[in-house]
Amino acid sequence: MDMNEIKEIFFQECEEQLAELESGLLKLNDGDRDPETVNAVFRAVHSIKGGAGAFGLDDLVSFAHVFETTLDCVRSNRLDPGPEVLKVMLKSADVLADLTNAARDGGSVDEARSRQLIKELEALANGEVPQASSVAEPVAKAAPVAAAPVVNDEGFQPVAFSFDDFETDEPALMDLPTYEIVFKPKSDLYAKGNDATLLLRDLSRLGEMSIHCDMDALPALDRLSPETAYFSWKVSLKTDKGEDAIRTVFEFAEWDCDLDVSRVSGDAAPVGEELPMQPVPFDLSILDDEPAGPIGVIEEEEQLAAQQEIRNAAVAAAGTASNVLQMAQSAARAPAEKSAGAAASAAAQSAAAQQAAASAATPTIRVDLDRVDRLINLVGELVINQAMLSQSVVENDANGTSSINMGLEELQQLTREIQDSVMAIRAQPVKPVFQRMSRIVREIADMTGKSVRLITEGENTEVDKTVIDKLAEPLTHMIRNAVDHGLETPEKRLAAGKSAEGTVRLTAKHRSGRIVIELADDGAGINREKVRQKAIDNDLIAADANLSDEEIDNLIFHAGFSTADKISDISGRGVGMDVVKRSIQALGGRINISSKPGHGSVFTMSLPLTLAVLDGMVVTVANQTLVVPLTAIVETLQPEAAAIHSFGSNQRLISIRNSFCPLVDVGRILNFRASQANPVEGVALLVESEGGGQRALMVDAIQGQRQVVIKSLEANYTHVPGIAAATILGDGRVALILDVDTIVAASRGQSLKPEMSLAAAG
Amino acid sequence: MASKKTARKTLSLAPVLDLNEATTLHEKLLGLKGSDLTIDASAVERVGTLCVQVLMAGAKTWEEEHLSFTFSKVSDAFEKTTQLIGVDIDHLMAKEI
Repeated sequence: MDMNEIKEIFFQECEEQLAELESGLLKLNDGDRDPETVNAVFRAVHSIKGGAGAFGLDDLVSFAHVFETTLDCVRSNRLDPGPEVLKVMLKSADVLADLTNAARDGGSVDEARSRQLIKELEALANGEVPQASSVAEPVAKAAPVAAAPVVNDEGFQPVAFSFDDFETDEPALMDLPTYEIVFKPKSDLYAKGNDATLLLRDLSRLGEMSIHCDMDALPALDRLSPETAYFSWKVSLKTDKGEDAIRTVFEFAEWDCDLDVSRVSGDAAPVGEELPMQPVPFDLSILDDEPAGPIGVIEEEEQLAAQQEIRNAAVAAAGTASNVLQMAQSAARAPAEKSAGAAASAAAQSAAAQQAAASAATPTIRVDLDRVDRLINLVGELVINQAMLSQSVVENDANGTSSINMGLEELQQLTREIQDSVMAIRAQPVKPVFQRMSRIVREIADMTGKSVRLITEGENTEVDKTVIDKLAEPLTHMIRNAVDHGLETPEKRLAAGKSAEGTVRLTAKHRSGRIVIELADDGAGINREKVRQKAIDNDLIAADANLSDEEIDNLIFHAGFSTADKISDISGRGVGMDVVKRSIQALGGRINISSKPGHGSVFTMSLPLTLAVLDGMVVTVANQTLVVPLTAIVETLQPEAAAIHSFGSNQRLISIRNSFCPLVDVGRILNFRASQANPVEGVALLVESEGGGQRALMVDAIQGQRQVVIKSLEANYTHVPGIAAATILGDGRVALILDVDTIVAASRGQSLKPEMSLAAAG
Repeated sequence: MASKKTARKTLSLAPVLDLNEATTLHEKLLGLKGSDLTIDASAVERVGTLCVQVLMAGAKTWEEEHLSFTFSKVSDAFEKTTQLIGVDIDHLMAKEI
């Protein structure tokens, strides 16, 4: 694995940490005062800082550092996370995200902004209590078992460290071979984010170690260059692990230091006699890092669960600690009880840290999206191939031996299962997109001077990754519109008897095999008179056009339509909602608006869960094979002549269980045939459309029900009104997938081409 | 920082004394030259070799100028790290009165 890959992983983790950070801060913003939330936020920033340090991303490190310091004040209850504080913190989270992005993709960040925030953060950190100058460390006070101090968070994993090793080694310790290690780091070692302390710590774990630090090279302070290596070490190490183990410790630093390892024969005089050696204490666990960063307070359950382990470890540790003291009497610096106590608490920490690490490590792997896509494509082909195989077996062997048929059925089920599993890999919660929106809301609210609260619901609703990726842009646009145009200024809101703070509600839910995303604001609603006037000015409609409220509302989806009086930075460039509508349509989705003057507007987007497969009913219409999405079909029925009623010139209704439902001749609407078909000869599919009403779609016959692989018609041919996509059937022919909603809309007298509808209306 | 020769100054160390902090610490110490100095290391959670180097260079310089350079409080992490890397700060610890 080269450095770039490691860096890439770091950035991926950063994304997760940033999401964690933001959701934590938002929770705090909602009044959550759970210490674990504060810790999670702190950890997120801390981890980013640690990783960034390892890659020399100085801007990121310095900002994260200041941020972390302020968060630490919150963590230790020196700073109350009130709304003003959180405002700064949320902004800081945004800047941290920007810095991370800039570090990954290049590009620049608003330096003035980050400098300003650093100032604000520092002010917060200093504001309440003067920087822990003489007061004892509050964290340490609050948590006797706190694992706060961390020596290393440059992305190193903690090395498994068991006291048992020492216990078993103990009787033989006197006879162990001794090695003399001369370790002289170069400045590069530090420049690369490594540290001698880490190497020496790892070294000390191999056995009983004494150390002498050579400081002769150290110049006076004013001649010192702070990033140059001056110290070098002579280490005497008693270990049974062998020279290789010692060299392994320095594996990643071997180019950046001079290293000499030699074995001293057991009888020879200990090195300690020539040089003043300092024994190294055993309970260095306090210097251990744990991957998630320092935890102020260990959770109760974890504590309980870890207690047994702690007890065991503590016994071993106490034994080892006193043993060390015996071995190194001359320089023992702490009383035995104190050291044993420290060792016990250190053991408790390391046990708890291990516990935390174990529970934090969720069994996931990162996979390149391309690989998943490739797999999905292949499975799609497999499904088609399986269908073809079934068909040819049926065609060639009309009798079909039962074993072949059974085998085929099993194959079909298996393919189906494979497909479902592969789809599940791609399914992701919409949460990341929703979280991004909260930032956008914050920024727009700041720019416009409005006070806005974003409420998200159903953020764990899962949908295909492609859909999520393509959702962000239209959603961003709509959120901007909602805040900029939808919500009123606080003064106007108060005047209208609403609270000064506007609400934008973003909801995701599954509905009949699609994901429905709703964006509702409690603003002024659409000013229909203004929209209408604008449309007339822009020659979109005739001055005397008679439009329903719904039609007026939908005018905002027209190209080049913007009602903002003056073009603002945020929205109103006139490329707004039509672009949104087009991107949603490109996803196979639909968008609707409903608006109540004075009460706000609701945008409803309905999107397919996946863009890859579809359960469909294969039907015949005028000798053409069509696929109707199964999710749209409520029931199928064979119309009887008595149930068909005509009205108007060519409209027909079908009576179903004492209610009337318009009958839609699909073949007629798609221009497959010139005259109306006889309903009694065909089959009616009762469908529910997005608008809510039911329609009976009339087709000639039903061939069967099948899962089909969606092939985009736009990508391979061109958009056909009334047709959503295409698929390849078992016999290799292309079948068109019906866009039920457009068909239903067309049956209401609207033309199939949406662009034409206004002309018709005008 | 304007310093009166007689005044005793106190320097509180940051929680994280890593690579990035070494330069800052160096500058801070240079700014405090000429006064007796008490160092508060009680907040230190993490200290790297470079910062220890800076501190020790400071101790050496202060000693040469016959000024006092003492650690008033040290955190466990600070103490352990100096022990680990074989840097003796015992003689720099403030004596309890």
